[in-house]
Amino acid sequence: MSEESSEKSLRAPAKAVPLFSFARVWTIASSTVTQLVRMKTFYFLLAFALIIVGIGNFNIPATPAKELSMIKKVAFGTMDLFAWLFAIISTALLIPRDQEDRTLYTILSKPVRRIEYLFGKLFGVLAVVATSLVAMFVICAIMIYSRETLYVSAEIQAMEANAQYTPEEMQAQVELIRQQGLRPELTVAVLASFLKASVVAAVTIFISTFASSSLFTIIISILVFLIGHAHSLLSNYWTTQTDNIFVIQAVKVIKVIIPNFQLFSFSEGIVQGAPIIAAVLWQMVGLTGGYLIVYVLLSLLVFVDKEF
Amino acid sequence: MSELAVEVKNLTKVFATGLLKQYVVAVDNLSFDVKAGEVYGLIGPNGSGKSTTMKVVLGLMAPSKGSAKVFGLDSGDIRARNEIGFLPENPYFYKHLSGAETLKFYGKLCGLKGSELKDRIGYLLDLVGLEEAADRRLGGYSKGMLQRIGLAQTLIQNPRLVILDEPTAGVDPVGSRQIRDLILRLREDGFTVFLCSHLLEQVQEVCDRVGIIFKGRMRREGQLDELISVEDQHAMTLEGASPELIEKIHALVEEEKGAKLIESGHPRTTLERLFISIAGDKEKGEKS
Repeated sequence: MSEESSEKSLRAPAKAVPLFSFARVWTIASSTVTQLVRMKTFYFLLAFALIIVGIGNFNIPATPAKELSMIKKVAFGTMDLFAWLFAIISTALLIPRDQEDRTLYTILSKPVRRIEYLFGKLFGVLAVVATSLVAMFVICAIMIYSRETLYVSAEIQAMEANAQYTPEEMQAQVELIRQQGLRPELTVAVLASFLKASVVAAVTIFISTFASSSLFTIIISILVFLIGHAHSLLSNYWTTQTDNIFVIQAVKVIKVIIPNFQLFSFSEGIVQGAPIIAAVLWQMVGLTGGYLIVYVLLSLLVFVDKEF
Repeated sequence: MSELAVEVKNLTKVFATGLLKQYVVAVDNLSFDVKAGEVYGLIGPNGSGKSTTMKVVLGLMAPSKGSAKVFGLDSGDIRARNEIGFLPENPYFYKHLSGAETLKFYGKLCGLKGSELKDRIGYLLDLVGLEEAADRRLGGYSKGMLQRIGLAQTLIQNPRLVILDEPTAGVDPVGSRQIRDLILRLREDGFTVFLCSHLLEQVQEVCDRVGIIFKGRMRREGQLDELISVEDQHAMTLEGASPELIEKIHALVEEEKGAKLIESGHPRTTLERLFISIAGDKEKGEKS
């Protein structure tokens, strides 16, 4: 065969590829959702539902309003705990597993940028965390609403039997219970839990880029989360207990690196009826976005030169 | 001059291992190129540096020294990877996805969508004979099926260069033969194939040129025919020859000064060919 004819039968060059593609990020994100769903991670919702049913059957010796407030607080606290724990565990199962199974080989040998892979994984986890939170909120809402209805009807019955109360007094009493029941403001508490879980997921992605296994990632991430929760407490203690410049500088570095997760715990106040300040809420959304960008960039710094 | 699909120049790859940072030279000043449209085999024993070289070409590793280019683009360039289809030694895919979903996932990563992607998936499933298993999850695939879906994934974006790492490792002889036939078909269709293997007989059957790598260095390289022909020997295979004719040939050789008969006897088939013929006969018998 002549060289000319063999040249003719060669394949044409590939189409141009964009240097960054949201479509590739979306493909990895949707595949991550499928992966987490098929790994049956949503089974934890069953455990959550059982806990919520248990919480709903608490019998606390207090007024109906206080009892409802207590149940709501414990239910939303459990939801918050499940959200960040789920964010850590599901994120930790992704990148280390792709490395262990070497699925990363085949993905990164396609025209995929490493930052697209990281963003895809993060957005996939966030989508699953958001879906879980919505499902958990629905479970909580059903429980709280059923308790609220029960307390209101029991209170009305008791007051009517007593025959001492005016309709206005009865209405005030019912209103008191309703204030501790299912209120639209509770959706903001769900958003607060989502923001916290998002930052936790971003930190976990960063840890997983240099971790050797999923277990290591989970342990370190939980440790970071706990340190982040005791942020102010630990830094105040260390800076007042020592004048060692190295310790003080180390504490300052840790304060910069590890997010202050206490700031993200504002859902507790909302659940207890504290007013929602829009400016604070936007500030927290902005802070979350900032942390996500910083941690994805830090992850990229480790991941970009990683050899497989 | 033919276009170069792969151009590796003075490639050196050094790994630091352990806490004391001991250095291991995996690839040492390696240079070779693969011309567009040819099948090139890089052969060598385990640990000779084949996979490291392949990973540098794929952009999964950066060279310590030297360079690797794919169709003139640096191997770390994302555009170079769009020209490559890669089949790893053990197909590493998500086991929770079905065969069709796997191809869809990789196709989308390469920018395919809509009817173009759907048609491509259908064509490739047909090509590798996995239409019936298209909706089955990869967790339930056999090793041979995984290798075939891997090959389909390799070709999803219709790349110019196909890189195969030990393509027939762990596959039974029939599956192995199918993969070799597919490589030959790829060459006919104008693909460039760069494969690494330590199974020499298979490389011999499909490659135009080979490079022999040992301890990270290129020891021999060239056209397969040139490398394996023994210049001062000549082989003849006779059919229907009588014992008298054989005797005569023996006598003639003995008469010739300086000539020596090295081997004579019934040619043997390979165990692999025997296995394939038996398996083929059995399959035909079951069908009839």
